[in-house]
Amino acid sequence: MLALELKNLNKKYPHFEIKDVSFQLEQGYIMGFIGVNGAGKTTTIKSILNMIQADSGEVSILGKNMAEHEIELKQEIGCAFGDIDFYTRSKLKTLTDITKRFYKNWNDDTYYSYLRRFKLDENKKIAELSTGMKVKYSLTLALSHGAKLLILDEPTSGLDPVSRDDLLDIFQELIVGGEISILFSTHITSDLERCADYITFIEQGQIVASSEKNEFKESYRLLSGSEAELSEVKEHLISYKINSFGFTGLIHAKDIHPSSTLRATTPSLDDIMIYFAKKEGVHV
Amino acid sequence: MYNLVMKDLKLGVNPWFFALPLILGGLMLIPGWLYFLVPLYFCFITVPNMFGGFKSQNDLMFSTMMPVTKTDIVKSRVAVIVILELMHLVVAMIFSIFTFLLYPHLTYIFFAPHMGFWGLCFIMLALFNLIFISMYYRTAYKYGAATTASTAAAILFAGAAQWAGIQYPWMNDIFYGSGLDNTALQLSILIAGILIFVALTLIAYRIAVKRFLKVEIL
Repeated sequence: MLALELKNLNKKYPHFEIKDVSFQLEQGYIMGFIGVNGAGKTTTIKSILNMIQADSGEVSILGKNMAEHEIELKQEIGCAFGDIDFYTRSKLKTLTDITKRFYKNWNDDTYYSYLRRFKLDENKKIAELSTGMKVKYSLTLALSHGAKLLILDEPTSGLDPVSRDDLLDIFQELIVGGEISILFSTHITSDLERCADYITFIEQGQIVASSEKNEFKESYRLLSGSEAELSEVKEHLISYKINSFGFTGLIHAKDIHPSSTLRATTPSLDDIMIYFAKKEGVHV
Repeated sequence: MYNLVMKDLKLGVNPWFFALPLILGGLMLIPGWLYFLVPLYFCFITVPNMFGGFKSQNDLMFSTMMPVTKTDIVKSRVAVIVILELMHLVVAMIFSIFTFLLYPHLTYIFFAPHMGFWGLCFIMLALFNLIFISMYYRTAYKYGAATTASTAAAILFAGAAQWAGIQYPWMNDIFYGSGLDNTALQLSILIAGILIFVALTLIAYRIAVKRFLKVEIL
């Protein structure tokens, strides 16, 4: 079953638009939603959650249309926004007592077990939690109401490497049962190299690709060669950089000529993002 | 909707604003004061502070993430406003009983706190709600202009009513003269005030819902 499906989502602002955004996330997998700052990640996520009214398009969660079953589906969704705090002067306990009233599947045992697991003290105030602890608290709330789909906007941004590593381990544990699916947006692509099953890449409001992680990476090649060789492939390159050794550029794997002698390697997610961002910019 | 109201009562609204009606009610004991000011303190103090709190605590985002409809978000917030307004009015009414007991022979320049006067207070807050709630939900976070416009309207109404009560003989008669002994008349003004309060608050709620459905939660 599909945990999440977006079909031709459009939203136009005066200076920015998301255009025909479509992708699917199978239940039980982690999808990394990547793109540079301002590419449209948060706009897409907020459209999924109905916080922003899309001009057109359709969002389905766990097989049901979000527009028609919003309340019911929100019972099944857990979300965390990395950079937003609520009621920071309140104790966790107070916030939990308020939150749990909203969810019919709330489970106190699960809640306390995650509190212990994440070493969260219920009597602390939100403001006293570190960034990592705040994300863990959001996750605790989501998991305690039995969320099947976790939508996390930049959950790892601002975390130290140890906390990030810890959180990524948790994500991987969560999906083991095959019931929970995670969509998480980030620009820290190394996180995804570790734990994502699928990658959806958004660039200037449009989806460039959405596929299995290795397949996604394999569909591109990082070519390098001398400046003289650049002219052979220049028109096929997505973008390129010139340095003292020659050039390095990103190309669609299918565009490489079989007889090409240029050195080709599989790019990292970072490389793909960087070269796509350069596409519209000036070559250096 | 009930959960959202409880969220506001327990988390969103500082307990001080529930104590405030009790303290402000004491102002009713000032002999011959301009008693319109007592419920107006709700508009001066509670509203801007409470809505400033909602804004700084990201309440809008918090509420939107919960499994609730946007209509319920507005409905519950209107309910909280009405609960606080009623607290202010009812406590002030109770105190006004003691005002009459303490100063039985006072000559009032401004309206004495009889039932008819409370009817006018209900109308004043009805106007406040109509403007504040409908303006606030254009954005659901900007409360400055909405508070200013709605409070100004409430003050204007109070000023105009008080002026008319002194200036026009028929109004003077109702609120200072023989009309005070006419319980049926006083009660009907109070009931009319309550009905106007309910009607205008409902209209405000409907406008607010319509506007809030278009608000994007950024």
